[in-house]
Amino acid sequence: MTNDSLSLTFAALADPTRRALLARLAEGEATVNELADPFDISLQAVSKHLKVLETAGLISKGREAQYRPCRIEPAPLDEVSRWIATNRRLWTERFDQLDDHLKRVTNNAEKEPEA
Amino acid sequence: MSDAVSELGELTIVRIFDARPEVVFECLTTPEHLTHFWGPIGVSTPLDGITIEPRPGGRFETVMVNDETGEEYPTKAVFVVFDPPRSYSFTEPDVAGGMTTTITFNDLGDGRTEAITHQTNVPPMFSSPEARAGLETSFVKFDAYLASL
Repeated sequence: MTNDSLSLTFAALADPTRRALLARLAEGEATVNELADPFDISLQAVSKHLKVLETAGLISKGREAQYRPCRIEPAPLDEVSRWIATNRRLWTERFDQLDDHLKRVTNNAEKEPEA
Repeated sequence: MSDAVSELGELTIVRIFDARPEVVFECLTTPEHLTHFWGPIGVSTPLDGITIEPRPGGRFETVMVNDETGEEYPTKAVFVVFDPPRSYSFTEPDVAGGMTTTITFNDLGDGRTEAITHQTNVPPMFSSPEARAGLETSFVKFDAYLASL
């Protein structure tokens, strides 16, 4: 996953309505009408949010012509958690090596004769 | 070393180093020192790729090189805080819509330093309470995964 698509995922998830739509879809697929029902916003606004989620690859729409139910696509979320894990590993390895480096630095300082 | 995900998507790493804050701070913010440890295992950070302007607003740039493939990973950050030896923070606008890393150094008084590394916007949408509620109830697997980090 490139940084760009990661940004796209983050941006898509940055909106509370879109997160609520995803939360609903995590329970099972639903049509646009079903998704819009609990929200106090227009069907058009819901469709717009769904479009953002679809562009980010977080949901897909069925091929059934009339209803086209939406379903959640977990892959981008997996990528986000992988990214966090990678980042955490980076810092752990970095600090392990800093530990070794600090040992060398402080040992050398001790060996230097007093001025 | 201990670590925790204090909030979903915010990563905190607490680490104690066997050196005084001045030394740890200098190692983390001086190019000559960084070449020795900045790249993770299997990755080098050559001196000529490191730019450090030690002040708020100054550049903090590195080029990490994969030892095996020669592949280069340039990073571009800007210091937000530069307050030796207490803390510094830098922000990377190109990473995940803007990630900020803050490292705070606490003098333990016995020659050791507690360094607290805190990253926010990892990713940003998880930081609000509604976001957490929504995700915690719905993405149980994801939640458990983060908790296990």
